[in-house]
Amino acid sequence: MVCSSNQNRSMEAHSLLKKQGFDVSSYGTGAHVKLPGPSLREPNVYEFGTPYKHMFDDLRRKDPDLYKRNGILPMLKRNSSVKTAPQRWQDNAADGPFDVVFTFEEKVFDMVVEDLHNRDHVLMKTVLVINLEVKDNHEEAAIGARLALDLCQEIEATESWEDSVDDVVSGFEKQHRRKLLYSISFY
Amino acid sequence: MAGASRDQALALLAAANNHGDLAVKLSSLRQAKDILLAVHPSFAAELFPYLVELQSSPETLVRKSLIEAIEEIGLKAMEHSSILVSVLLVFLRDGDSIIAKQSIVSGTNFFCSVLEELALQFHRHGKVERWLEELWVWMVKLKDAVLAIALGPGPFGVKILAMKFLETYVLHFTSDANDFEKSSIEGSGRAFNISWVVGGHPVLDPASLMSDANRIIGVLLTLLQSASSLSGCLTITVVNCLAAIARKRPHHYNTVLSALLDFDSSIEMVKGHSASVQYSLRTAFLGFLRCTCPTIMESRDRLLRALRSMNAGDAADQVIRQVDKMMKNNERASRDARLGRDDPPSSQLSVPGDLFRKRSMHQDNEEPTNGHGMTSKRIRYGHNMHSASHVQMSDSGQDCASANGVSPKVPLLDNDLTPVEQMIAMICALVAEGERGAESLEILISQIHPDLLADIIVTNMKQFSKVLSSPIGFGNLPVSGQTGSSSSPATAAPTITMQSSVLPAQVPFSTAAATSMAHSEMSTVINLPPDSKRDPRRDPRRLDPRRVGVPVGLQSVHMVEDTGAIQAEFDGSISLSKPPSLPVVTSVENTSTSLVSKTEGDDKILKNALISETDQPISREELLDGAKEVDHIPEIGATSDAALSPARTIDEDSAAPESLDIAVADGADTSPLIETDQHSPARSNTYVSEETSIDLPLPPPYVELTEDQKIRLKKLALERIIDSYVYSRETDCSHTRMALLARLVAQIDGDEDVVVMLQKHVLLDYQGQKGHELVLHILYHLHALMISDSVEHSSFAAVVYEKFLLAVVKSLLEKLPASDKSFSKLLGEVPLLPDSALKLLDDLCSSDVTDQHGKVLRDRERVTQGLGAVWSLILGRPLNRQACLNIALKCAVHSQDDIRTKAIRLVANKLYLLSYISENIQQYATDMLLSAVNQHISDPELSQSGSSDQRLEAETGSLETSVSGSQISEPGTSENDPMKGSQSVQNISTVEFHQAQRLISLFFALCTKKPNLLQLVFNIYGRAPKAVKQAIHRHIPIIIGALGPLYPELLSIISDPPEGSENLLTQVLKILTEEKTPTPHLIAIVKHLYETKLKDATILIPMLSLLSRNEVLPIFPRLIDLPLDKFQDALANILQGSAHTGPALTPAEVLVAIHDISPEKDGIALKKITEACSACFEQRTVFTPQVLAKALNQMVDHTPLPLLFMRTVIQAIDAYPTLVDFVMEILSKLVSKQVWRMPKLWVGFLKCVSQTQPHSFRVLLQLPAPQLESALNKHANLRGPLSAYASQPSIKSSLPRSILIVLGLVNEPHMQQSHPPSSLHSSDTSSSVHGATLT
Repeated sequence: MVCSSNQNRSMEAHSLLKKQGFDVSSYGTGAHVKLPGPSLREPNVYEFGTPYKHMFDDLRRKDPDLYKRNGILPMLKRNSSVKTAPQRWQDNAADGPFDVVFTFEEKVFDMVVEDLHNRDHVLMKTVLVINLEVKDNHEEAAIGARLALDLCQEIEATESWEDSVDDVVSGFEKQHRRKLLYSISFY
Repeated sequence: MAGASRDQALALLAAANNHGDLAVKLSSLRQAKDILLAVHPSFAAELFPYLVELQSSPETLVRKSLIEAIEEIGLKAMEHSSILVSVLLVFLRDGDSIIAKQSIVSGTNFFCSVLEELALQFHRHGKVERWLEELWVWMVKLKDAVLAIALGPGPFGVKILAMKFLETYVLHFTSDANDFEKSSIEGSGRAFNISWVVGGHPVLDPASLMSDANRIIGVLLTLLQSASSLSGCLTITVVNCLAAIARKRPHHYNTVLSALLDFDSSIEMVKGHSASVQYSLRTAFLGFLRCTCPTIMESRDRLLRALRSMNAGDAADQVIRQVDKMMKNNERASRDARLGRDDPPSSQLSVPGDLFRKRSMHQDNEEPTNGHGMTSKRIRYGHNMHSASHVQMSDSGQDCASANGVSPKVPLLDNDLTPVEQMIAMICALVAEGERGAESLEILISQIHPDLLADIIVTNMKQFSKVLSSPIGFGNLPVSGQTGSSSSPATAAPTITMQSSVLPAQVPFSTAAATSMAHSEMSTVINLPPDSKRDPRRDPRRLDPRRVGVPVGLQSVHMVEDTGAIQAEFDGSISLSKPPSLPVVTSVENTSTSLVSKTEGDDKILKNALISETDQPISREELLDGAKEVDHIPEIGATSDAALSPARTIDEDSAAPESLDIAVADGADTSPLIETDQHSPARSNTYVSEETSIDLPLPPPYVELTEDQKIRLKKLALERIIDSYVYSRETDCSHTRMALLARLVAQIDGDEDVVVMLQKHVLLDYQGQKGHELVLHILYHLHALMISDSVEHSSFAAVVYEKFLLAVVKSLLEKLPASDKSFSKLLGEVPLLPDSALKLLDDLCSSDVTDQHGKVLRDRERVTQGLGAVWSLILGRPLNRQACLNIALKCAVHSQDDIRTKAIRLVANKLYLLSYISENIQQYATDMLLSAVNQHISDPELSQSGSSDQRLEAETGSLETSVSGSQISEPGTSENDPMKGSQSVQNISTVEFHQAQRLISLFFALCTKKPNLLQLVFNIYGRAPKAVKQAIHRHIPIIIGALGPLYPELLSIISDPPEGSENLLTQVLKILTEEKTPTPHLIAIVKHLYETKLKDATILIPMLSLLSRNEVLPIFPRLIDLPLDKFQDALANILQGSAHTGPALTPAEVLVAIHDISPEKDGIALKKITEACSACFEQRTVFTPQVLAKALNQMVDHTPLPLLFMRTVIQAIDAYPTLVDFVMEILSKLVSKQVWRMPKLWVGFLKCVSQTQPHSFRVLLQLPAPQLESALNKHANLRGPLSAYASQPSIKSSLPRSILIVLGLVNEPHMQQSHPPSSLHSSDTSSSVHGATLT
């Protein structure tokens, strides 16, 4: 599961899929972890690897009301129960290989695909990269996570996804009226 | 040992084959594998047949494990592994796709290893062993099998991997010089490159392998074309594979790109998920854009078009930006490396790097994520460019390469070249390609960053000027011989000046492309003439190196023709200064012979051009026209370009003197460059050195320009460029011009005229013409010089910088309206704010600026503007923050009200909210407040005495101050200050008040933001002098209004006021209760305060209206005890009451309450009570006759009667004569109460009676005789009228005899009545007797 900051969308999906028993990891592709701040122009910026707990404490210190109201604190709390800290996709190449990579934003999709293309494909293992466009808010993230779960289960159900990915993707698009993109790369 | 393990392995393999349980099989196989890996390959090989037997295992997992085992073991024991490989081949056709996939993967690994081994073995031993050859045959079979899979039907998963294999295969067998560094760095598995076997390999035939690779690319391309029959994921894979090949092998890029573009246009036909397929194309194109390899760069436009058509324009732009940034970083990196090695770097060249650094710092550093990988690639391309254009140099094997330890074959050539020179080299290389390169050149130049382009131009100018300048620069060098041979400098100088006038003629027409074209043309000219000249005589291949010396000579020759005034020596010398053409030359070597034929044409063209030029009269204007005409005359057609180029070269030349300083500085730097450049061709081609040695001795020219001339030249050039601005507005062009201008300005020392000129230009249309950008550009350039350079240079740059900045800023202030934001924008964006700029800002904000007529210029808007600038600077420039803050704070205590108000608004509302400076602000405000307090205390005279008035007057020397002061301060404070009455407010002069006001305003403004600061106000209030108090009183209402009564800080202050702050507290309370009903909490606090700490009832006054009767009555005596004016306030509050509860006391009750106070018991002076009464009586509208009557009626029944009762009665009758009847009733009641027994009242009674005669006669007559007598004795004037009254028959008859006796109406001796005797009475009687006796 990959989104920009490894906070909302990817973590929502991570959390959900983990509960459903999937072997799942989550990452962000941004340069930094950005969380909304008091205004659009002053986001809270953290390095990848900063524990969620730390962010939680930091924001609670800064303005508990605001961050509780906009759902950041609850989100961070949820995240810290899933894993320790946000991870950056590009810095965690060694985590692989994954069978399927989900991205939640076209930009992220681009970065993941580009990153995979730039790696040395030593293992020669195919990886399916799927982009499911999800807006970066709590509600959409929850919906997106459920959709991702559905899609994962469908893919899991197929004998070999290579043979049926077109059908799965098209069927999913029809059923949920969401646009998908996929690409294929190697590890 | 071996035997034991052999048996064990056999047993395990048997188990793996036959055991019933799958888990046991797998683990057995694994253990067997471990054993086989552990033993010597030859032993292991004996067991291979048994291992191979497992291939028929029915379990998929077993077979999969077998493949993995085979791969591991086989790679270790490669000598014996051909039997194993055969298994792989079988498995490729396995029905289970997992097995097939695994065998492709393992096969690929095998393939790579075998290939590597093949190459290495030959490399080391010069031969290839049989087993390896055999293995290779297997590998070829494997390849064919995989290819069959890729093309044939089958599970997609397998096919995808098969395609991946093909990609790997292609990459292995296509040569890419670009890539070999990478592979050598990687060092592992994929190290093989076709170039390894180029030298003739017994097994591997590069040519056939490469053609095979090409065939496979063809296969992939065919697959793509038949995408309509492929599934989506296969299409995507094909696209990805092709893209990968294209990116890594630029040779195939064009083929792949056009295939992809074709595919793009027929995307609708695609089966499967077309959005994803199209997206894969998009990804591929974006990937191409990220590459900086020249071939790929050329196709940028096509890529962009394609991307735009698929709505990915934004992404594409972003990628391009990233790439550009990368390129810059690359240049910087290489330059930094250079800086590290070369001691005196050329100032000119180091500048752009710093500029970039600045820039990139400004840009948002949201660097694209995969940046790192990209950079490394980019750098690689950078190398390649060099290795391409400097083959000879690299061959010469400079030792520096080994220092980096990367690869002996890739010397870090770019260390010897600055990015600028690299670019020049590249441009030249492209030019050398002729027609073919023209398009790419155009693209390249349109992509070059303006700064870089400007550097290129200036560098070229420098090359021209170098020789010219070097004699000047190294004045002590013996140049006499050369100068002697050169023509007279006097003639040369004017010539150049004249040429410079041609420059403007060109510039207006030049867009960026045009400039670059001209530029490229110039280099063509440089290169081509020698070709054309020598073409008839020599083989073109031999020609190339020769151009080193000659071309420029020729070029300058035609320049001579152009102007008709330059000498041969001059030409020759210029050839010296043309090392940059060298890289061109070397690269030209590789170009086709078509160039030669072309040069002939060019030669003619050149001549044409020259003729057309020389035909024109040589006077400035006409020459200028000539250039224009040549540009447009259709007949010349093809020649126009060439014509342009001479003009351009002249331009360059004429501009050259401007770079004198730089050139001098560069002297040391460039000369080694020249040396190396000359050195390398010398190595590669021996006869070249002969040629050059012939060319070299030509005497360098010496054109001495006087300082004046130089300056004039510089200005002229600058002027022309500026003028050209007016005509061409194309943005891409303006960037370049800006960069160019910036460099020129930096070279011209801060001449007033230049500054003025630029300034005018900038202001002409500050926004529209991008004047702002230009200014910034220049300033950044100067700043870069300042910080990057040697001492003298930087100080020079600093001077220019400051001068220029100040001039622009000042003129912005003068010319633009105050509302214009440009001023603050400029200050905010310049790289550095010198002190003088801050001073200017300070002046703008706070000091008087006078114009020539001595009039004060400052107006409100300017101050606003200045403060606005200060604000934005504080926000945006941490370095200048403190200085700006000081300005703002200074204004915040400015003596002029409007300035101060504005500044305070800024400081309190905006700056104070910034956490990083709020501390400072608060400290400053506090200091000011304290200084206001302390300053006055230190001068007791001022704070206390009335005579201070005089003193102050004397001091200030202004008569009106004190007078007007008292007038002003009165209305100013009277509303808010309940205390002022008795105090000597009037004594405070305006000066003092204003001073206080000035100092404390800021603090109060801060209080509204941070209420707990108020505590300090309360703390100092006690010791503050009058003026300050007064100022405080004036501020308090505002701040309280702003805070509201609920503010906890305020309440806490109220609950515990510091000593001396009572007055202030009262005022605060008053304000709090004035508008709205105070909260119960506040009331409780105040009451508690009253009860505990502060016994002063004053503080309660504002609350009174809200208190109930029962609450008011106990404190009523205290209220009476207050000074009269406060009591009056209190009275008003009590009577007013609140809307809900009504008044706490009715007027009548008030009166009664006043009278109920006993002086002895309550400890209140009687006088206070009487005053209170009087105060009541003054309010005639409230204390009406009815009220009085009611009150008196109540009081008369009190026992004892209030002390002041009679007084009040008298006052009442005085005030309202109509009450007389009522008073008489009261008096009667008093009589019945034996009023004479109360001596004090008795006196009053008599007085009242006396005053109210004749109405009181009836009452008098009710008195017992002795009292009557005493009364008459005291008020003798009563006796007559009373007697007369009593003697009326109707009355007389009703009077007792004793009375009559007293009145003397009856002659009987008077007798005692039956009144109970009392001491009082007796004394009374005695007195009356006494009195009687007297009468």
